[in-house]
Amino acid sequence: MRLLRSEFLRARSRRVVPMLVVGGLIGIVIGLGIAAFYAHKPSAAQVASAQAQFQADYQRCLSGKYVGVNQAIDARYSSIEDVCSSAVTPDLDAIMLRDVEQILQHTATFVILLGALLGASLGGADWTSDTMGTLLTWEPRRVRVFLTRALAVGLFAIAITLFLQLAFAVVFWLVTALRGVTTFLPPHLFGDTLATMLRVSAMATAFALVAYVLAMIGRSTVSSLGVLFGYLILFEGVIAGFRQSVEGSLFVRAAIVVISREPILTEPRGFSGPGVPEPIVVMDVTKAWVVVVIYVLVLGAVSLVQFQRRDVT
Amino acid sequence: MTMIEIEGLRKEYRRVRGGRTIAVDRLDLSVPEGGVFGFLGPNGAGKTTTIRCLLGLVRPSAGRLSLLGADVGHALPSVIGRVGSIVEAPAMFPRFSGRRNLEILAKIHGEGDAAIDASLERVGLRDRAKDPVRAYSLGMKQRLAIAATLLRDPSLLILDEPANGLDPAGIVEVRELLRSLGAEGRTIFVSSHILSEVQQTADRVAIVAKGRLIKAGPVNEVLATTGSRGVIVKLGDLEAGRRALADGEIPATIEAGAIRADVAADESERISRTLAQAGLYVTELRPDTVDLETVFLELTKDQGVGD
Repeated sequence: MRLLRSEFLRARSRRVVPMLVVGGLIGIVIGLGIAAFYAHKPSAAQVASAQAQFQADYQRCLSGKYVGVNQAIDARYSSIEDVCSSAVTPDLDAIMLRDVEQILQHTATFVILLGALLGASLGGADWTSDTMGTLLTWEPRRVRVFLTRALAVGLFAIAITLFLQLAFAVVFWLVTALRGVTTFLPPHLFGDTLATMLRVSAMATAFALVAYVLAMIGRSTVSSLGVLFGYLILFEGVIAGFRQSVEGSLFVRAAIVVISREPILTEPRGFSGPGVPEPIVVMDVTKAWVVVVIYVLVLGAVSLVQFQRRDVT
Repeated sequence: MTMIEIEGLRKEYRRVRGGRTIAVDRLDLSVPEGGVFGFLGPNGAGKTTTIRCLLGLVRPSAGRLSLLGADVGHALPSVIGRVGSIVEAPAMFPRFSGRRNLEILAKIHGEGDAAIDASLERVGLRDRAKDPVRAYSLGMKQRLAIAATLLRDPSLLILDEPANGLDPAGIVEVRELLRSLGAEGRTIFVSSHILSEVQQTADRVAIVAKGRLIKAGPVNEVLATTGSRGVIVKLGDLEAGRRALADGEIPATIEAGAIRADVAADESERISRTLAQAGLYVTELRPDTVDLETVFLELTKDQGVGD
């Protein structure tokens, strides 16, 4: 517990932490400020008209129009109301509070990058400053040092990414209240938005931990980020594109599935029968979670073993 | 109690392009409790590697090490709280204040503000505690590192080249600090390649070269290794003086513009009287003292040090 307190103080004192928080807040304010500037608040009559149309479309959806007669509801939804809340959207050209969950999913890339940067920085700082030796002369149990720091990295990543997403949601609510529309809210918007934030933060934490363990292997922040982004861009982005068989094992794909809750599907090969072929699930949400956890645990184990064995010179 | 015990320590490093470098070779060393122990040797002698092995930072290739009676390989965590150490240059976070650096370390062992204040006060850094470390001089960084070692009130201090890179004032400061810490009953194990510096603070020394122990023992014993050096005499007519001393049965030779009499330093009075009786008056009379540097060079001349 003492070591964890020390790690918190060390992490809190790093410049990267306030820089990421303040930078994130500035980005949110500028981004949503620009959106607010170009948005126009619809008139009451436009809203009323859209409301009427929306209600009509919603009722049609409830009657089964969009899912079709006797067709099963997609596994992502628990009821026909859920399907309609997602499928029926108001026909209104305005910023709408109801889109906050979708926007949070689309901004997840930035949040995850922020997590990776945080993990690499907190993991690499001691090597860059040559203070790892000093730390180990105070706490020679390397496993404890490694795991405690991983815990600190994880907790910081969760806290900072959740805070920034909450800040985004609050500023977005303000913008929609002033320059957009705060009606047409689906029934579970609050819960769904919170769940999306938690999933995005969980993935940002996974990337932070991967960046941290890479920094411990490469003994620097730069090497961690270089290897991580090199792998993600060159391997997962380019090479994996030529081999669809590995798509179900890729880190980024898994993170996308976890956040969006939409499985990766593919068409069956050589389908020649009548009708529409049943798609094959390459990666569902459960498998995506497993893939992410495996990446973190395997890389973590490799990093821990080499940290335990290598000399600190 | 033996504070440090090293038996048969060997450390090899593999070179990137093949081959091996032996940093420490079958080193045996025993450091008793109390006082200042100088661990001497030129750069590359294996001093820092030995210290890293002692602190668990580097895994020995062979040998056994113990600190405060605890085996370093297995029981180091049980005694590390009683050991303060600095390895090579003091490593601190440069953007953090001196105080924040100490706070981070102090929290690991649950030390509070009182211990931090006392340590800063002890090394004379309390007024600059809130300044970032990058604004510190090398001497201040060194003192901050010493302050960090004092947080735990250690019974053993292991300091690697604490005077390295310091200006003369800084060297004096560190020297005084080490003396006072040693006087408190702590054991100070200090490595250095500045032999004259260690000679002024250490009670016992060990000399290493090329990873091997050359000589160890109390400073006086090590200094006596080369035997008595005699007395240096200066006067106007050196040849007349040498003859007068020879007549008085005092063996003497002329070396480098002076007479060196091969007698013990406490025979100075007899030398002075003998010369005066011959009508010769000395302008300088002093023992030909031997220093660690001389001893070191003599002891290591067969080791190829400096090659």
